[in-house]
Order: sequence, then structure tokens, then C-alpha cells
Amino acid sequence: MTLSTSFPSSGRFVRSRHAMPAILLAVVALLVVAPLLRILWATLTPEGLDAWVAVLASPLSQNLWWRPLVDTLLLGLGVCLGCLLLGGFLAWLVVLTDLPGRNLIGTLSSLPFMIPSFAGALAWGTLFRNDRLGGAPGYFQAQGIAIPDWLAWGLVPTLIVLVAHYFSLAYTIIAAALSSVGADLVEAGQMAGARRSRILFGIVLPVVTPALVAGASLTFAGAVSNFAAPALLGLPVRMHTLSTRLFGMIDTGQTERGFVLALLLIGVSATLLFFSDRLVSGRKAFTTVTGKGGRTKRFPLGIWRWPLFALAAAIGVMTSIVPVLVLAASSLAPQSGALFSNWTLYFWIGEGGGEIAQGQAGLFRNPVLIDALWTTLRLGVVVAMTTMVLGLALAYTIVRNKGTLLANALSQLAFLPLLVPSIAFAAAYIALFGAPIGPLPSLYGTFALLVLAATAHNLPYAVQAGRSVLGQISTDIEESARLTGAGFLRCMAVIIVPLAIRGLLAGAILVFVKMVRDLSLVVLLFTATSPVLSMVAYRYASEGFMQFANAITLLILAICLVASFLAHVLQHRVQKWKQS
Amino acid sequence: MTTHAAAAPDAIQIRQLVKRFGDFTAVRNVDISVPAGSFLVLVGPSGCGKSTLLRMLAGLEAPTSGSIAFGGRTISSGEGGVIADAGARDAGLVFQSYALWPHMTVAGNIAWPLKVARWPKEKREQRIDEVLAFLGIGALRERYPAEISGGQQQRVAIARTIAPKPSILLFDEPLSNLDAKLRIEMRSELMRIHRATGATSVYVTHDQVEAMTMATHVAVLNNGRVEQFGSPIDLLRHPRTTFVASFLGTPPANLLPVKRNADMLTFGDVPLAPAGIAGAQTEVQLLYRAQDIAVGALNGKPKLVAKFAEAAPIAGQTMVTAMVGDLRITAMADGYFTASPGETVDLTFIRTPDAVFTAAGERIDQ
Ligand SMILES: Nc1ncnc2c1ncn2[C@@H]1O[C@H](COP(=O)(O)OP(=O)(O)OP(=O)(O)O)[C@@H](O)[C@H]1O
Ligand SMILES: [Mg+2]
Repeated sequence: MTLSTSFPSSGRFVRSRHAMPAILLAVVALLVVAPLLRILWATLTPEGLDAWVAVLASPLSQNLWWRPLVDTLLLGLGVCLGCLLLGGFLAWLVVLTDLPGRNLIGTLSSLPFMIPSFAGALAWGTLFRNDRLGGAPGYFQAQGIAIPDWLAWGLVPTLIVLVAHYFSLAYTIIAAALSSVGADLVEAGQMAGARRSRILFGIVLPVVTPALVAGASLTFAGAVSNFAAPALLGLPVRMHTLSTRLFGMIDTGQTERGFVLALLLIGVSATLLFFSDRLVSGRKAFTTVTGKGGRTKRFPLGIWRWPLFALAAAIGVMTSIVPVLVLAASSLAPQSGALFSNWTLYFWIGEGGGEIAQGQAGLFRNPVLIDALWTTLRLGVVVAMTTMVLGLALAYTIVRNKGTLLANALSQLAFLPLLVPSIAFAAAYIALFGAPIGPLPSLYGTFALLVLAATAHNLPYAVQAGRSVLGQISTDIEESARLTGAGFLRCMAVIIVPLAIRGLLAGAILVFVKMVRDLSLVVLLFTATSPVLSMVAYRYASEGFMQFANAITLLILAICLVASFLAHVLQHRVQKWKQS
Repeated sequence: MTTHAAAAPDAIQIRQLVKRFGDFTAVRNVDISVPAGSFLVLVGPSGCGKSTLLRMLAGLEAPTSGSIAFGGRTISSGEGGVIADAGARDAGLVFQSYALWPHMTVAGNIAWPLKVARWPKEKREQRIDEVLAFLGIGALRERYPAEISGGQQQRVAIARTIAPKPSILLFDEPLSNLDAKLRIEMRSELMRIHRATGATSVYVTHDQVEAMTMATHVAVLNNGRVEQFGSPIDLLRHPRTTFVASFLGTPPANLLPVKRNADMLTFGDVPLAPAGIAGAQTEVQLLYRAQDIAVGALNGKPKLVAKFAEAAPIAGQTMVTAMVGDLRITAMADGYFTASPGETVDLTFIRTPDAVFTAAGERIDQ
């Protein structure tokens, strides 16, 4: 590779046209393929093969594999079903009926996905913990309402928390699909004399089937690979999913077994995503044909308008606003059972040394936390930048070489991480970089390792974002460049950057948000000595310092909210400017 | 199919039909009846309420007041709302967007309404083959809507609509998404379908050529009101209002505002016609067809000096457009005629005006 050895621009361009794709291919191979191959390889060594046997065919396999598998699948199916029902119901109400306050319900329904799932899990614990495990009881128990074990711990609360989190993903997907079902399609059914139910099942549902399948598989995959909720609500009662099992194995030094579980988890999640994709692609991957679109047919709800509004609003409030309020109240309440009494800012700014919280200082006076805050922000910013740069370069190369083997290979590889649950991806990174490679030192526990892993894992989104940015500007650049005769650099400075900057920033902020609230990727890759916020929150929660955990989670939420708002404003600006 | 007995009630009878959306009145007091087998065209500018009227006929929209009866049976009314559901009024609607169901094949699209109507399987299959052959799209049977062209989608949409043999066919600007050539082709195709099915058709368009070529009855709508209802020839010959006069006919007719000046009607200071035709009015509008105005001076005939704007050859003659002040006037010249824009040309009124309208646009009968 001869990059930037000779400067004369024409020669450099010709060469970089071939060098660039090659470099990118190498980078993507290193970031995405190498870790996966390495983790596979690691399980094919003698110890690795022993681990396979131990996990799949030994007296241990009941605990290591079968029970976690069953719990994982139950969780996946339950969450997927719950999300489709809840998300589909709300999407139907908002898009296809004359429900009052549709905008409000729509906004409420898309909020929960912005709140990290461990926030939901923590809020659940704050309300529903019982005294089975000792420690401070939750709000209801403290009020004298006995909470049975099944509601406090294990599968049911995990399921509820995950549905409350992921249903808004399903909502978003289904609502988008439903609003593409033009009124004409429905009215054509009415003209044929079909009744409402026949139109719903014969026309509307089949047309949105691809979206339903996509929603189902994404929520299933999300639930299967989620770490926070089962870890916070399941681990205390020894309920394991594949992801918590795999975390436990690696955390306790049984690395090979952890790797085997990671591979199995990838298998479960990838198989599902692969088949669901097959199900909706091909000839039947219909999009709505022509049509003025826009107008959708709204069914009158009659006397059910207000009751259904109340129900939908309640769902939205319970899943987005109540958890945040609970966390806020808890971070102010010295006794975790008495959420609303003796509020103090101690957990935020207390000096420490007193009775409360075993003498620990408040959030903003705790050097470890301040450190974690900076590490988190730094991580978010760095990953956002690396991801967007790589994503843009990839998108550009893929678009430019469209149809070639290279472009296909690049786009397939860039989308591979979608199939890999983040905790398993983290395991693969440990397999590759956990030990020194030749002269290179082990990267385990370093900031660099996390940046690499996170960049790789965010690649699918980044390429997507890069593509949409390029889609906005490509024709403009080509034409203006040709027409004005301006030099390449001048074009870049005057046209591309101003046009792309907002799109890029918006994409970068989304990556930033994903990183700041991520737990499952960082939990394996960071060491206790230089943690990020989400890990500190997780640790506090598992040690029983609920107020600290909740306060940190609120802090994470606040950061994400501010960032999302920024992204929204940016995108809005972009669109406004596009319309004028 | 409806029988043609002499005393048979009209296939479609619209009485004092009104549709309001909130404060906005989209359809005002429409009164139209047509016998079975007619081809009724609703024509008018965008937003005049054509689709709304059609959707009320289809049963997709309830009238605010007034009533609609098919074959003597009231199917919608202001009091009763939609009395017979869309599916229960023996009518089929072809949508402007075609509205094909994207998840069904061509055959599936045609079959679904038959299934809903509980046709037995053999009859259904037979009917599908029949309409596919009728529209010449048998080869597309197993394709999905996304896999066929716009013109083919249009044919499928028509096939789907006529398959259950409705006695009333409703079309909402079915040709507006097609290119010019295909549009002309489909126009004759639709006429053929109309004749072959014997159904009463209602056809919405804002294209007056479509209206003139296809209709047995035309209703010109403006602002939700029927400006005039009659046969195409009738509307061309005897427009009731200046709106109708200027909306129909190619090339467009000319309307000249004139004032009574002693015993003549003058345009500016040019006397055009005797004042007697204006009745008691002092200011009226005169309608002249393009063929009533010649290019070039002619002794003894009134003439205007105009600025040449453009010329278009038509069937061996030339249609000349020229400006008198802000007024656009269309005249016919023999053979090929051309001039440079802005050049002065003489326009001579070789015949008496075809019609006289009040300043407000109402016709003054002679
Ligand atoms: N559901 C509705 N609510 C409020 N106003 C409506 C509604 N449907 C139609 N209108 C209004 O009624 C008027 C007539 O609409 P309609 O669709 O019948 O027009 P049209 O003659 O079919 O026009 P086009 O040629 O553009 O299709 C329009 O001004 C429109 O804005
Ligand atoms: Mg219309």
C-alpha cells in the first residue's frame, strides 16, 4: 500500500481509488471477521473442545446450557409476542383510528426505547423488590404489600421490563408500515364488500407482514441478547440466560466455556434473524405500489375513543415516565422503601463519612464516579467519531463500487455485527485481543479495545447513516463540481462539508447515545479500575446501593436526552432546509 | 344488469346532494339523474368536489343532506347516512392510484372480491380467466403488482373492478397516471368495457377532452356546484355559463366583455354587435368561437388590432393566439400562418357572437 508517498494529486487519486477499498476491506476484516474467527478457533483447542463437551454433553450442561437456553428462548418469545401485541395495538390506534391525542400517544410510545433497559430493571427493583434476599425492600413491600417472589425476581419481571423497553421498537416499525397502507387499499376492500375484520386480516395485516416479521425478529434478538435486565432481576435468584451465563463464565475465568456459550448465543440469534430475513425477502418483499399514499383510512372508535385513549396513555406513562420518576425519587430517598419521604441530595452531592450509604460520598463528590463520567463521555465521543468516519468511508466505497464483488463483500461484512449480540461480540474481542498478539500487548481492559469493539459493533448503523448522508449530497456534488470547475478540495469545503455535516453529526450523536447507555458490550471489556457509568451503576445495583445506581442511571438518561434532543434539532433543521 | 323497460327508474338519481367537511362545503345541492347504461362524466377543475361526489356514490362517504338512489333504491341520504354499504350497492370503483393489494398476485387481486362475495371456486376461476382475457393481461396472472408496469396495473385494477359484474362502474381519474399515448389507448379500451358490460358508468376527470369523447352525459362542476348538466354536444352548443363555455371545447372559446354604446355593443371603441342581443343589460360578455375570428382585415366586418403571441397548426389550419391588452384571443387562420411575437395582427369577427352572457356569467337567451 502506497498511501501518500507521492503527492501529485492525479497519481494519488488513481492509486487511492484502488488502495482505499483494499484498506477498508482489511480494516473491516480485522474489526469484524478476525474476532469471530478467533473465538471460534479458541474453542477448537483441546481446552476449547473440553469446554464444548462440558457445556453441551456433561452433567454440567443442564446448568450451563439447557436451562439458560430455555430461559433465553422463553424470554425471547415472550418479549417478541408482548412487543408485537403492545406495539401493534398502539400503532393501530395511532395510525388507523380516530383516537384523540394521537401525537401524544405516538410520542409516548416511542420514548421507552430511548431509556436503557437497565433503567427499567432498576425501577422495577425499586418498586417490587421483596425481602427474600435480605437488603432493603422495595416500595410496595415497605408499604406492607407483600410481593410474591415471581413478581419480584426472575423470568416474569425480566419479561415485563424487556417488553416495556422493546415494545416501542416494534411500535415504531409497525407504525411506519401501517402509515404506508394507503386509504385506497382499505377502501378497495370496502368496495368489495368485505367487513372490517376481513379487511384487517385480509389486507392490512398481510401488507404490513414484513414489518411485523422485522419487529418480531428485532425484539426477539434484542431480548435474547439483553444482559442488564436478566442480570439485575434474574441473577439474584439464579435465573440465567445465555448472556448472563456467558458473562459469569468469563468473569470467573472459565474463558473457554464462556466462548462456547458466546458462539451458541450468536447461533441462536443469528439463525432467527437470518430466517426472518429470508421470510420477507424475495418476490413477496412488496412495498406499497404507487398511489398518492399519504392519506390513511381512520376507523371510527365510537364510544371506545376515550377509554382506549386512557389505556394507551397509561401504557405510555407507565413505560416511559413512571420509571424515570421512580429512579428520581429513589435517588433522593435515604430509605429505599420510603420513596417519598425525607428527600435529600445526599446521594448526589453528599460529602460522605456519615451514616448514610456506608459513608460513601455523593455522586458528584466521588472521584471514581467523576472519572467514570469522563471515561463515558470520552468513549461516546471517540466511538461516535471513529464510527462515522469509517461508516462514511465504507458507504462511499460501497456506493462507488456498486455491483462489484468488493462492494458486496464490504456491505455484507459491515452488516455482520447486526447478527451478533453485543455481549458475544465482546467475548470475541476478548478472544482476539485478550492476550498479547506477537509484539503487541494485550489490550484487555484498555480504552482502545473498547473503542475498537464498539466501532465494529456500530458499523451497520454507521454505514446506514453514511449512505443516507451520501444520498443527500451525491448528485449535488457531482454536478456543481463539474459545472463550476471548482477544485476537489474547494468542493469538499464549500459543498460537501456544509451539506453533510448535519447528517453526520446527527448520526454521530445517535452512536454516542448508544454508547453512553450501553452495558452489555462494556461489561465484559472494561475492568473495574476504569469503568464507565453504566458499569458503575450495575455494580452499585448488584451490591444493593440502589440509590447510587438509580442516580447514575438518571445521569446517563440526562446525557442521552440532551444528546437526542440535539440530534432531533439537527435532523429537523436538515429537513426544514431540504423543504425550502 | 338492469332491464331497459321504458318505465324503469333511473340507474342513478342524485337529489339535492350536499357534503360539508366542517365549515367547508365540498358538494352543494347537486341534482343529477341518468338512465341505465349511460356514461356520466363529472368534469371540473381541481378541488371542485368531483372525487367527493364519486365517493358518496361509492358509499365511502356519507352525504350531509340530500339523497342518492340506484335503480330507485335509496342507498345514501342525509338522514340515513350510508344506507347500503360500499360493498352492498352493486358498484365497483377504479381508484386513481389503482389501489392494487401489493401482497396478492394479479389473479389474487381479482379473486379476492369474488371470494368476499362467496363465489364458488370454479365460477371464480372461470371469471378470472374471462376478465384477464378481456383486458389482454392473461400473461400477468401470477405476477405481483410491483412486478408490472403502470398501464398493466391500470388494467388489473379495471379487471378487479368488473370481475364481480357490478351494474355501476365508478372511475376516479383512472387515466391521469398514464402517459399521453397510453391514455388515448385506454380511453377506447374503457369505452369498449363500458359497452361490453352494459354497466352505468360514472367517470371523474379534469380533462375536458376525455369528457367530450367518452360521455353520454356530462356534469360540469365548479366549487361543488353543477354548473351545467347535459349531453356533450348540448354543453358545447349551449353553455349555460361562461365557466362552462371557457372550460369545454378545443380550442377554447373567446369571451369578450363589451358595453352598450347607443345601439351597439362595443369592445373598447370597436362596435362588435347590435345592442339588441344584450336584452336589458348594459355590460355583457360575447362568446366567439375561434373559427368565428379570422386573421387579417376583411371589409365591412369589425376588427381588433392585437399583438401576436403564438401559433399552432391544426388540421391544415393554424390556431393563432394574440393579445388585446390582457385579453387572450384565439382565432383561426387558413393554411399555415406565423409571425414574430409582439407583431401586430388584425383579428376580424366574421360571424355574430355564438352566445351572450351577463357580466356575472349567466347566459342571456335570445
Ligand atoms: N376529508 C376531507 N376533509 C376536509 N376537506 C375535504 C376532505 N375531502 C375533500 N375535501 C375538500 O373538498 C374539496 C373537494 O375535494 P375533491 O377531492 O372532491 O376534489 P376533486 O374535484 O376530486 O379534485 P382533484 O381533481 O384535485 O382530484 C377540496 O377543496 C378538498 O380540500
Ligand atoms: Mg379527485
